[in-house]
Amino acid sequence: MTSKVQAFLCAVFVGAASTAQAQLAWEKTEIELNPKAGEEETVAHFKYENKGNTPVRITNVRTSCGCTVANYKRDELAPGEKGEIAATFKIGNRTGLQSKVVTVETDFPGASIANLVLKANIAQLFEVQPTFVYWEGGEAPKPKTITVRAGKDVPVTKVDVTTSSPDFTTKVEKGKAQGEFVITVQPKDTARILNATLTIKPDYPKTLYASARVTGAPAAAR
Amino acid sequence: MKRVLVRQTLVLLALAMVPGIGQAVYYRDRVSWNAPAIAPDEVTLEQAQSWGDSVLWVDARPTEQFEREHIPAALSLNEDSWDELLPQMLAQWSPEKHVVVYCSSQSCAASHDVARRLREEAGLKNVYVLHGGWEGWSAAKK
Repeated sequence: MTSKVQAFLCAVFVGAASTAQAQLAWEKTEIELNPKAGEEETVAHFKYENKGNTPVRITNVRTSCGCTVANYKRDELAPGEKGEIAATFKIGNRTGLQSKVVTVETDFPGASIANLVLKANIAQLFEVQPTFVYWEGGEAPKPKTITVRAGKDVPVTKVDVTTSSPDFTTKVEKGKAQGEFVITVQPKDTARILNATLTIKPDYPKTLYASARVTGAPAAAR
Repeated sequence: MKRVLVRQTLVLLALAMVPGIGQAVYYRDRVSWNAPAIAPDEVTLEQAQSWGDSVLWVDARPTEQFEREHIPAALSLNEDSWDELLPQMLAQWSPEKHVVVYCSSQSCAASHDVARRLREEAGLKNVYVLHGGWEGWSAAKK
């Protein structure tokens, strides 16, 4: 291969690669958000610009979760035009670090798909641990505990608990740490299947839930 | 000229194959060539079905999708309505059950999130994610 041929091929590859990257340019492809505790949704704005010489058409935008909706104003972008995709993440009852992907497809060959990542650290107002206590059928009906911890800067002095079933009794005591409460749950008997939803109401505008259950007899006993 | 061109092409191809062969040798026992790898908390449809009546199917997709169609006897539990749906799911649970959670496809994360919360927050054991999700189940039924 002569050096002229090699130089030509090299120029073709480099040229093709640089043209492909020069079309829709994203300011950021990953955005991390820290919504405040109690917020219902959070929005990430993914900004872009058509840095190529030809128009680019957005052909499809899809999200990795039904909890995320992506909106944008224009399908077709002229050279030099800027825009954004607003990804709205519905927090619901989610907790912890959430990562959602928005996939954007364009009609530009070679660089037609972009994966945009929205990360959200969802602060918890309260932690309930565990959210479920159970006794197997025939097991001694000893009390079990559920701990409620208020998040930082959540002023709680009192917690009330009600149970959906009179077959369980509950008692609330203050825990060792600030904002911590211990709920003691006990079934009246374990001879039959029982279910209860525990409604936990702190003196703060938030209601929490836990479940208690007496299951059937253990598998070995059937 | 032609011989030089052919020789250089072969040299370039041989060089390009070196990392590929290296990777194939290094990962020979770790990667399936035909199917995506199964994560440690996942089960295949065949494995889940082998558990028979002890499986508790949990549908982690949005409620509208669950209402449209779902695996027979599955219970809905998604993070949009976690507080309302969790007690209903737990009322059907018992210690000998294998909980198998699924969402739309292999690439969705909702089933892993729901499975994690069932383990960490509710303290359940034997919680798995269905490999391939609803898409895999639907394909197997056709």
